[in-house]
Formats: sequence, structure tokens, C-alpha cells
Amino acid sequence: MSMAPDYPPDSGQWVCGVCRRPLEQIKMQIFYLNSAFDVSLPSCPQCGLTMTPKSLAEGKMLEVEALLEDK
Amino acid sequence: MTFDQARLHEIEARCTQESPPGCQGVCPFQLDVRAFLAAMTEGRLVPARRILDRALPLPGIMAAVCDHPCEGVCPRKGLGGSVAVNKLEQACLAATSPTRIPPQPRKKFSLAVMGAGLAGLVAAADLARKGYSITLFHNGEPASLLCSRFPVLADSGALRADMEALVALEVAFAEARLDAPLISRCVQTFDALLLDADAASEPAPPPDDVDAATLLWHDTVCCAGWPSLNAAGRVIPEASRQAGEGRRAAQTLERIVGKVSLTAERDKKPGVLHVPLEGVSPVPRLEAEAEGYTPDEAAREAGRCIQCQCLICVKECVFLQKHKGYPRTYARQAYNNASIVQGFHTANTLINGCALCGQCERLCPERFSMADLCRSAREDMVERNYMPPSAHEFALEDMESACGPECALVLNDIGLDKGGKPSWLFFPGCQLTASRGEQTLELYEHLRSNLSGGVALTLSCCGIPAQWAGRRADFDRHAAELLRQWENFGRPTLIAACASCLKALRSALPEAGLVSAWEILTTLSLPPGRRHYDAFALSIHDPCAARFDAAWLKSVRALVRACGATPEEPRLTGETTPCCGYGGLVFCAAPDVAAEMSAARAADLPHTALASCIMCRDRLANQDKACLHLLDLLFPRPSMSDTQAAAARGPSFSTRRAGRAALRRRVLREYLGRQTLERPAERLTVPPQTLTRLEERHILLEDVESVVAQAERGGRYFENLQNGRRLASSRPRHVTFWVEYSRDGETVMVHDAWMHRMIVPGAGDAGTTPGGRHETGQTPRENMP
Ligand code: SF4
Ligand code: SF4
Ligand code: SF4
Ligand SMILES: [Zn+2]
Repeated sequence: MSMAPDYPPDSGQWVCGVCRRPLEQIKMQIFYLNSAFDVSLPSCPQCGLTMTPKSLAEGKMLEVEALLEDK
Repeated sequence: MTFDQARLHEIEARCTQESPPGCQGVCPFQLDVRAFLAAMTEGRLVPARRILDRALPLPGIMAAVCDHPCEGVCPRKGLGGSVAVNKLEQACLAATSPTRIPPQPRKKFSLAVMGAGLAGLVAAADLARKGYSITLFHNGEPASLLCSRFPVLADSGALRADMEALVALEVAFAEARLDAPLISRCVQTFDALLLDADAASEPAPPPDDVDAATLLWHDTVCCAGWPSLNAAGRVIPEASRQAGEGRRAAQTLERIVGKVSLTAERDKKPGVLHVPLEGVSPVPRLEAEAEGYTPDEAAREAGRCIQCQCLICVKECVFLQKHKGYPRTYARQAYNNASIVQGFHTANTLINGCALCGQCERLCPERFSMADLCRSAREDMVERNYMPPSAHEFALEDMESACGPECALVLNDIGLDKGGKPSWLFFPGCQLTASRGEQTLELYEHLRSNLSGGVALTLSCCGIPAQWAGRRADFDRHAAELLRQWENFGRPTLIAACASCLKALRSALPEAGLVSAWEILTTLSLPPGRRHYDAFALSIHDPCAARFDAAWLKSVRALVRACGATPEEPRLTGETTPCCGYGGLVFCAAPDVAAEMSAARAADLPHTALASCIMCRDRLANQDKACLHLLDLLFPRPSMSDTQAAAARGPSFSTRRAGRAALRRRVLREYLGRQTLERPAERLTVPPQTLTRLEERHILLEDVESVVAQAERGGRYFENLQNGRRLASSRPRHVTFWVEYSRDGETVMVHDAWMHRMIVPGAGDAGTTPGGRHETGQTPRENMP
């Protein structure tokens, strides 16, 4: 099981609603059922608010979730 | 584990789909006739020949002399005549050359065969092929007895070829007097001996003196191949029986020298293969123009084989078809799934895809129950904690909500004195109330005004979703609560309007009197506002949970007739009705299978359908099948014509929840004069395509609302500078919901929504330090990209 590491926003020019800072691709770990994955996701560099792009949620993530659930 | 190996075998054995067809079962060599004929049909002569050469010890001789019992049991018999298996074998042999079968390594045992009758030759061939050293004692020419018994063999190429094959297998031919002294000599010299009772008739014992199962006579001596005698004492050969005895005796000789039990694991009778013949039209047997079939004639005659198999249940169940096997293979997969220690549970999808509807069990001649299999497998998954969380969570949360403070209600009949005990308790169920609140109340009122003794009302869920999800403990807990309420009411008779509720209540409240609303209605005066049709044909769709509920089935039809309509029975109906796709929570765990189930059912109903379960009605309507609910006949909605009512799609998941809550509020208001506050909703505008997508992804409007409300309260959202849209998330339970929306003053326009189960730090409510740690702490890392 592997997840390609870098997931930018699907489209648009996004800023954090609170900090008004443009988002940056920030490395982090995401988790499910005792597994963790290293990925880069669009995040606010100031407050850490993070985005899950739709293409990731309905693509790779869904796939990995299903795999882990059958493990 | 819910089932061990022994239980698996017991379950597996119920499905006889893998049993041999009749022809193979009676063949002394269990020739795979079906495969042979399939190859012949396709003109694949060499593979066909290979099947013959592998199965038959003396292919040429057997094809020439066999009395073909296979043809006697062929179900084609009454449909144009049995398939000409024997003639096709001959045609195949004539058109091909022998298959080269690699010799087996030599074994150290020397065996003797006394007599070159059919049994002796078969045994010699069988054993020589397996690598034993064989000495064949014969009287006169080796083939003389065979030729006199079967004159067709005289001078035949088949005989010559098979005898040469024996020589090639290094069978030693020895001429001798076949008498008792030879038997004694053989017993001393060889590891075991077979006596051919036709060739060595003088020293051979009568058949009754040998063991019927093993053909063992004494010590290391077997005897086989007795000819039959007719009334005049003439010998009548019976090739298949004699040859079969030869094989049976050969197997015993092997066991003797191998020093293993002569009987263990032998002659296990597989169950009967059931062969449905509906739809098979008669085709007359093809007779060859000249002597023997040409390859083309052979292909056509072989094509008359119906390739006997069962699949009775599979033919009628979308789910069973989907997984490409049949119950026997599924039982094994479910078992393996439960036994997995490391690796993937590859049968989870299978187990969660069954509607638990019981149709297969009803159709199967052996009563195989996929529902029992899948239900116990699910219980095991839950118990041992490997049930995929996503499989049933949505449905279980829906159940929780239906039993929760916003939707559930217990109301005594308001006509009774305080503390009075009602005679009846109406339990409409969580889905009827979700979809048809108004009609539910009309039905309730009708019951109240026509039944004496008071009718109480319970708005709740019967708990069946928990049972379907394999959560027995949750079901039991819920059952205990229902029991308590029922006891409090003084044990009234329960009236249910949903077949699944009836089933669940029957197991939750075994002591309660239980009756369907439809049955009660047939005993009361009919609702005055009901429809009065003039011969309106309706295809009845029975709910799968009611298949064995004769009273339900009968009352539904009676009520349909009472409204002047004509109930028409579809091909599968009553006991054999299929599931609409709601049962077993397939709609949740395998929505695609569930949709195919509804579509398949819809296609099988010629007229406007009439359902007596609201989930059936809504699911069929969602497949664009015109479908009415029984309540549409009895308590028609004034705002709708029948056409409109039949065409109306079922409400969305969100609307269902809202419908339950609205009904509860209405009951409180109308019966108790109590006003309750409606939960203030965000003003959301959701375009229809977005609504459809939400529905498919199991995202409720209330989830969308709470994401937006939470984001707007704290300003925690992203903003797209290009179009001003906002994107926010929240994780109320085990799922993170994302909503993309825009704000225009007080109104919120929802553009899109999605969800995931993975925990993303900084999204939803999970930790918000950049690259922060997961809420539940350290977790092993799966991989590094
Ligand atoms: S009906 Fe289904 S379960 Fe029953 S024997 Fe046939 S294939 Fe097997
Ligand atoms: S129809 Fe075919 S498979 Fe069935 S018994 Fe006849 S020959 Fe055998
Ligand atoms: S869905 Fe119904 S018919 Fe199909 S396997 Fe399950 S219980 Fe049997
Ligand atoms: Zn920020």
C-alpha cells in the first residue's frame, strides 16, 4: 500500500479564512486503522488548517481505506 | 470462530452444485461426460480425446462395448432423447490418435490378474498405468474371451490398439490354466491377486462370497467381473458393470499392498446434482447419416447436452451472480475469510453483499441458506473486530437516530384514562414513518377508531439493522428496551406495518401477540377514503421478510381486491419473492449490488407494482418503476393522482430523517397539544445534482449544515480568491465531511461535498499544529513514499 506523496488543491487559489495566508504543501502524517502515511497536503503555514482535496478523498484515500478495512 | 472446519463441511455439503451430473455418476470410470461433450460441441477433438484417454482404462474397447448407463439417466431422455454419449466417444476415437500419457514411476509391488475378461483387463490397465508390475494369466489367446463375449471386437482396430497399449505398459502376458492351484501359487508369489470371474469361472467364488464394497474374497485375493446369466443360462455381458468391478477391485489391490484401510474415504456418495429443466426445449437425437458421426454431426449431437448443473439459486439472485461462484464456493470463501490471521479478508464484500432475504434457501432443493452463512459470518466479524467500519455505520447511525430523542416516541392511546392499559400497540416502523408520516397517522387513526380497548403508538426502529449488521448485542439491547415498553403497556397485541419489523419483533418479543396491519385491516371496516378501481392490474411485489408470512401475503391481496384492483402474480412471488435491495443493509455496504437487485426486480414486474413494504416501494420507484404502496390504495394522498404517487421517487436519506422527526412533532402537537421546537436549520440551497451526489455518498444535509455552521462560527474555512467559495470540514464521528459553499448574505449555496474516514491532522477537528500528531497518539507508520 502506498500513497503518492503530494496532493495540491484540485483547483483555485486558496487562503486560510482566519490567517489570510496562501496555503503551502506541508508534509504530515495521515492515519487510518493503525496505519500512517506520509503525504504533503495544502495547509495554512500559520495555523495548520489543512485541506483534503476532493480528488484525494474520493480517489487514493478511498482505495486505501477499503484496503485497510479488509486487512 | 463461528464455524470450524467440521461446520464448514456440513454447510458446504448442502450445496450439490459440484456433484457430478447423472451421466458421470453412473459411469464406471466417472468419465467427465459433460466436459467431453463440451469439447466435442466446440469441435475441440484433441482435448475431448484427452478426457477419454485419461478416464477410460481401455478407451477403444470400452467405447465399442459399453452398454452406456450414462444415457439411461440423461435428462435429455424426455427432451428429444438422451445424448448419444457412446456414439460420440466412438466418433472422437475414430477421428483422433491416442493421447500420450506419461508413464508413472515404477512401484515395487508385483500384482497378478487371473483371466483376461473385461474386469481383468481393466484392472491390469489401471494398475499398469499406475506403475505396478502386472502379470496377466490368460487361457488361450489373450483376446479370445473378450472377442467371444463382444463379437464387435473381433478384428477391430480398437481391440488391437488397447492390447498393444497394455504391452507398452509392460504387462506380462502368461498363458496358464486358470485353476485353484494357480491361485495358491499367485498368493505366494505376488503381493496381491485379482481373479476375473468370467475368465476364471471355475475357481471363482459366487458373488455373494466376496465383500460387496471392496470385492475382497480372502487374504490378498479379490474377485470381479461375473457375467450375468439369462433365464436359459446363457452368459450376457454387461460391460459397464464388469468393467466397473475391475476398477473397484484394482483399487482394493492398491490398498492391500499400500497397507491402508480398504474402506476408509471410499465410495463417498456426493449429493444429487439438481438439474432444472425449465426452458430446455426438446431437440431430437441426431442419427448419423453413414456409419459413425462426422465431426460436424458429432458437434451438433454433443451440443444437445444441456451441461447439467444446478445454480437454481444463482439464477434468481443478482448478488450470487455478482461474485461468479455459487453457495458452495462462497461457504469456503467465508470460512477462509474467518480463518485469516495475517493478510486480507478478501470475502468481506461477499459477506456484506447478501440481502439475507432467504430466497436462495427457499429455492434450493437442499435448502442451502446464504443468509444464515452471511449472518453468522458478520457476527463473527463484529465479535472479533474485523468488520469494516464503513460497511454499516451509516445505517446504524440512522437506526440510532430513529430510536433517539428527535424521532422516537411512546404514546398511550389518548382516549384511555391515565395509566390505562391499551389492548393494542401500533408499531409502524422507522421507514414507513420516515417516508409516509401522514398516511401512518391516518392508519393509526383508523385503527384507533375501529379497534376497541385502545391503541398505543410507538415510533422507533425495530432493531433489525443491528441484526443485519451482525451486531447481536446491540440488537439484544434494543430488544430489551422494546420489551420493557411493551410490559409497561400491559402486554398489548402488537400491530406492525413492516415485514422486517414483524420479524424483528417476533424475535425481540417472543411472548407478544403480533399481527400485521394488513391482516387487522381485513377484519375491520375499510377506510372510507380508499380507492375504488375498476379492474386495475397491479403486479404484487411481496417483501422478502414476509415470504413465509401467509397471513401477510393473503391480506395484501385481499385489500388490493377490496379496492377493486386485480392482484397479478409475477414469476417470483410470495415465498419465492426476491429482495428489493434494502434487506441485509446491502444498500449500505454494497449500494451497487442493491441497485441491481432493485432493477432486476423492477424488470420482472409487468404492471404498475404494488408493494406492502415502504422500502420496497421507494427502491423500486427509484429505479423508475411505477410502484404504489398499499397505503396509497387505502389512504390515498389527496394531493396526488395514482400515476403521480406511483412515479414519485422515494425521499432522500436526509428527508427520511427529517420525516421521522416531523411526525414525532406532529404527534406531540396533535395528541398532547405539546409544541416542540424544530431544530433551526441553516438556510442551505442545494442544487438537485449536488443532492444526488450527497445521497450517493451517504452525506446527510444535517452533516452539511453542521460543517457550515461550525466553519462560519469560527471563521475556520479556506477561501478561494478566484471565486469567493469557501471550503470547510468537520469530523463529528468517524468521518470527516468537506463542504464547498458560497455565502450570499444569509443564504448558503452548497456546491459540493465529500468525505473520508482517514484522519488528517488540521482537517475536521483533528489536531491543528502543522504536521501535527493524530488524536489517538502514536501510530505505526505504514510506508515511506
Ligand atoms: S440451489 Fe444453489 S445452493 Fe442449492 S444446490 Fe443448487 S447451486 Fe447449490
Ligand atoms: S445432458 Fe449432458 S451432462 Fe446432463 S446427463 Fe446428459 S450427457 Fe450428461
Ligand atoms: S440476497 Fe437473498 S437470495 Fe441472494 S444469497 Fe442472499 S439470502 Fe440468498
Ligand atoms: Zn491559518
